[in-house]
Amino acid sequence: MKELSVSNLLGIKYLTAEDLHLIFETADQFKEVINRPIKKVPSLRDITIANLFFENSTRTRLSFELAEKRLSADVINFSASSSSVIKGETLIDTVNNILAMKVDMVVMRHPNPGAGVFLSKHVKASIVNAGDGAHEHPTQALLDVFSIREKYGEVAGKKIVIVGDIMHSRVALSNIFTLKKLGAEVKVCGPNSLIPKHIESLGVKVEHNLIKALEWCDIANMLRVQNERMEHSYFPSTREYVQQYGINKTLLDTLSKPVTIMHPGPINRGVEITSDVADSEHSIILNQVENGVAIRMAVMYLLASKIKNYEN
Amino acid sequence: MSSILLKSAKILDTESSYHLQTKDLLVEDGVITKIEDTIESADKIINRENLHVSNGFFDSSVSFGEPGFEERETLANGVTTARRSGFTGFLLNPNLDPITDTNSAVKFLQQQIDTQLIDIKPLGALTKSFDGKNLAELYDMQMAGAVGFYDFKNPIADANLFKIALQYVKSFDGLIFSYPQDRSIAGKAQVNEDEFNTYIGLKGMPNLAEELQIARDLYILEYTGGKLHIPNVSTKASVHLIKKAKAKGLKVTCSVALPHLFFSSEKLESFDSKYKILPPLRTKEDTKALKKAVKDGVISMVTCDHEPMDEEHKELEFENASYGSIGLESAFSVMNTLFGVEMASDLLSKPKTNFGLQTSKIEVNQRADLSLFDPNSEYTFQKQHIFSKSKNSMFLGESLKGNVIGSIYNDTIYEN
Repeated sequence: MKELSVSNLLGIKYLTAEDLHLIFETADQFKEVINRPIKKVPSLRDITIANLFFENSTRTRLSFELAEKRLSADVINFSASSSSVIKGETLIDTVNNILAMKVDMVVMRHPNPGAGVFLSKHVKASIVNAGDGAHEHPTQALLDVFSIREKYGEVAGKKIVIVGDIMHSRVALSNIFTLKKLGAEVKVCGPNSLIPKHIESLGVKVEHNLIKALEWCDIANMLRVQNERMEHSYFPSTREYVQQYGINKTLLDTLSKPVTIMHPGPINRGVEITSDVADSEHSIILNQVENGVAIRMAVMYLLASKIKNYEN
Repeated sequence: MSSILLKSAKILDTESSYHLQTKDLLVEDGVITKIEDTIESADKIINRENLHVSNGFFDSSVSFGEPGFEERETLANGVTTARRSGFTGFLLNPNLDPITDTNSAVKFLQQQIDTQLIDIKPLGALTKSFDGKNLAELYDMQMAGAVGFYDFKNPIADANLFKIALQYVKSFDGLIFSYPQDRSIAGKAQVNEDEFNTYIGLKGMPNLAEELQIARDLYILEYTGGKLHIPNVSTKASVHLIKKAKAKGLKVTCSVALPHLFFSSEKLESFDSKYKILPPLRTKEDTKALKKAVKDGVISMVTCDHEPMDEEHKELEFENASYGSIGLESAFSVMNTLFGVEMASDLLSKPKTNFGLQTSKIEVNQRADLSLFDPNSEYTFQKQHIFSKSKNSMFLGESLKGNVIGSIYNDTIYEN
């Protein structure tokens, strides 16, 4: 059986293109499973997974939990607000205390970039990064690119523009890494104050004009403006942001060809995209959500099989 | 009467008539009494392979933790660390608790130090409690022995306060230290803005933050006159600004910290908090320019920027970890690896002259103030080489050349 080159999913940057293909092929099978009348398989019956969320999340957490339950894993949940973190316990201690209860895998969301990498050096468990600050959100990128692959058959050669707050976005970074590894072309588009100065070193191009970017691309991935990560204002007002970087139906109708619209959620309707765009035939936003469960099942299944192989 | 004999020591002191000669050297009661081809006996004889001797090393930026942060470092252990690392003196940063911002705080530190053992010069804070608003009693601290005024790594944001401070200390020849960072540009960023921070998603601090502050400071210095020291210069353009200011005749000195000569920002790829320092590690291009500036003499001071930090505050997720690295123990080896022994020993012992402090020479009848080392050995720097209470060294795991054998100051000797 093929296996991943890594024993943790800390970021897309640590994966090979073969890993990405393996995850997608495995997700194809799980997507078929979750569309059966009986949506559950016994694959991870002997695996215990802890979902540690040190930062708020609704969809990612639900998606992971559902994926774990579909795989028949035992699941425990932990969130920072109800935890000992506020009592001053360190991350390593918190996680080691949970692992002492014989947990095999940790799914962690954390506000600090590199928190998963740090943890992987200090604890014995398989770690899945569910978002670490502005570093990476690997499963989101995997499900995004899986959705592109599903719609277009393949990813190589496709043109994708990522629009919005690139600077504060872990989704942008993970998407760039995934798409580049699979041979797609990527541009980023947004206010210059929200584009990292050295972004082109990642092999992407910058386009500040949204219409030009949309004319160029096959797919537009619309990011949310991460107000919570900004220490001050990077643009004057939401109204002005929408004028330049918001997508509405009228705008899409002026383009010479249709563009597929993606969004990692949660959508600020009327900001990044209007309702008529979000709900249109060109939007694959809800496919992304469905694929999220299949992708997360694939990732956890592949990582768990490495744990089992090691034990055997 | 006690005597110490160094056998076959190669003397490195450009001011001495024995420079580059290999001699026996006798120290009696803290004074060099003989430098000859062969000296026979003494109470203590140091006969080590490849023994080299230079003037005692002096560092312009050392932080300890006493009083206030004894878990990081105590004065007693700090002094031992310095002496075993070849340092016979240094400037002690005021980042203590209480902050060294009064005459009595300066005096307290001096009372704790055995002046026969080491030459520690405290720095006083520029503003009360580093508040950046109200000048501390600078004259009073200078009277107590403070050799300069520094709000340790807290930039002086208020340009007018900086102007007034330079004007005020001029009458008593005071020296202001200005940490080069414009906080409004740096924001909450903790690492350099370049390709690596983009790759790892940590917020970046542009070079501009440092260069703007230096440009501002030099403009103001030109207006006020007086003396300015800019510690921890870390970018190529900063060097250029200081070079131009020196050419104009401004009284400005600067230092570069050893990590900025040895490492660049790519080290951050591992999110290892041991590489978290201020200013942040910069690009390879900056590192190269800084090394050149040291060789050309534009930067006259290299500091190890010794900053002990207990592991409870250091070994954390990158953003939550404290800044700083210790550096005394590895200073000679790193300098020797980078520049070779002659330049290393010269740069390490020279900072005293930059601060107008009393210096000595390796000549007969001079006071003994000596560092002893072997520049040829090769080793990997590991925890066992650390004498500090805190073990937060950036150089752990690095292959280095040359090791310190010890130091002699007055009639005291530390030998590793």
